[in-house]
Amino acid sequence: MKKIFLCCSAGMSTSMLVKKMKAAAAERNLETDIIAVSLSEFDETITEYDVCLLGPQVRFRHEDLARQAAEYGKKVAVIDSMAYGMMKGDQVLDQALALLEG
Amino acid sequence: MKLYDSLIKFVEQKLGPVAGKLGSQRHIGALRDGFLVAMPFIIVGSFILIFANPPFAADTTNTFGRIWLDFVAAHRATIVMPWTMSMGIMSLFITMGVAQSLAKSYKMDQVGAAALSVMTFLLVAAPEKGWALPLNHFGGTGIFTALLSAYYSVELTRFLKERNITIRMPEQVPPAIAASFALLIPVLTIFLTAYPLSLFLQANFGMQIPDAVMMLFSPLVSASNSLPAIIGALLLCQLLWFAGIHGANIVVGILSPIFLTNIAGNAAAYAAGEPLPNLFTQPFWDFYIFIGGAGATLALVILMSFSKATHLRSVGRMSALPGLFQINEPVMFGAPVVMNATLFLPFVLAPVVNAVIAYIAVNTGLVDRAIAVTPWTTPALIGAAWGAGWVLKASILTAVLMVIDVLIYYPFFKVYEKQVLAEENAVAASQTVAPVEGGQQVTA
Repeated sequence: MKKIFLCCSAGMSTSMLVKKMKAAAAERNLETDIIAVSLSEFDETITEYDVCLLGPQVRFRHEDLARQAAEYGKKVAVIDSMAYGMMKGDQVLDQALALLEG
Repeated sequence: MKLYDSLIKFVEQKLGPVAGKLGSQRHIGALRDGFLVAMPFIIVGSFILIFANPPFAADTTNTFGRIWLDFVAAHRATIVMPWTMSMGIMSLFITMGVAQSLAKSYKMDQVGAAALSVMTFLLVAAPEKGWALPLNHFGGTGIFTALLSAYYSVELTRFLKERNITIRMPEQVPPAIAASFALLIPVLTIFLTAYPLSLFLQANFGMQIPDAVMMLFSPLVSASNSLPAIIGALLLCQLLWFAGIHGANIVVGILSPIFLTNIAGNAAAYAAGEPLPNLFTQPFWDFYIFIGGAGATLALVILMSFSKATHLRSVGRMSALPGLFQINEPVMFGAPVVMNATLFLPFVLAPVVNAVIAYIAVNTGLVDRAIAVTPWTTPALIGAAWGAGWVLKASILTAVLMVIDVLIYYPFFKVYEKQVLAEENAVAASQTVAPVEGGQQVTA
């Protein structure tokens, strides 16, 4: 089970992307748990999930969130802005999986 | 284009990093998240206030209006009670929320911090009389005091803890018991600091601490109602968003105490049947200036939805529903608007024009000032009316602004569409997809 969470200001626009990512995962028969949360929920979510992707509009938090995640040996990355805008679930799922591998 | 280039350089190299620092600054973060705690109470509470003040003239002949008015006249105190216990005492929720968020960021005991800040706030803002707490500073006039109480009590606790000024417990004592002792010194210290300050102000100036705090912040609050301040705040938000940074997350985060002070002032005046003092409120910001999200992008989304260019049409249609609910990330990053030189001018201009027109309309009394807080994700046409107390004129203003926004975006959109079409045709002709790097270029 791959546990991925997306994070943006209020967790609104990322929740749209979550839907697309779940569809992409289902197509590949991947077992995943993908959710979207707001920045203020990052702290408690990072302990339970394996990897975090940030909406590009909150990339200014990347550095300090990545530092927090590193304490748990986890990674945080910023979603490619074009993939985000186009809501490319497939591509963002790839990004999350690559992050989990690496 | 030289001006544009240096502006972008400024946003990327100077403004962006500063905004990033502000956005991750823990006190600002606690302010933003703490206010969110109070929002449901304020939103539903302000809804009740509207119900208690029917939008009908006192001598209306409308049957529905008549029944409503009579019902309210007979049961006013009963109806207003839930408002008093939600929006009316919002400062209490704010102080809890901010203290809890700040304590969370320090990884300190959150419930303890919230309770301590409530005590601090009550100690300085609600001098009890005959076993009753006067509520007059629990609403709008107590917001800044609530904020300061939260900061002070959490920082004090942290300071004492870091200096090891605490009651030490042996290792064997269960953590929960140790935690219950941990707050003893902070409580005592607040008794010895905040309370004397409150007594001093009362004795020498006949003021409560919230009165003094409001006096300090009043220039800021009254400045917020001026057009230059509104345009300044929105330009900051726009420039950050243009660089792809969530401007509202930072700007609105800082503005939220002012928004709430203003709306609470209006709500109190409305309940008392007095003229409403404040213009700059959250509904004004969300539903007049930023229709469809930052940059008033709903207009652009409409234009894109009927575009001849496949890319713009598909992004436009995908962005329509979120845009209706004031969410515009898809169009911002999909069109893209972010760092798109062609769309820079309308993106900045449309909200400014909206602000100027709305300012005139509201200031002249053509459209009512806001009295209610709404979820920011309410569709603008509904949100505008809701905020003003279900006044149709507010929705009409939003509709007019939307038409103007479409006109502002149209010429620039056409230029951009031509660029995208040229690119799409080139790709179709060669069939070799070579996406150009983002930035000012078009990526299909």
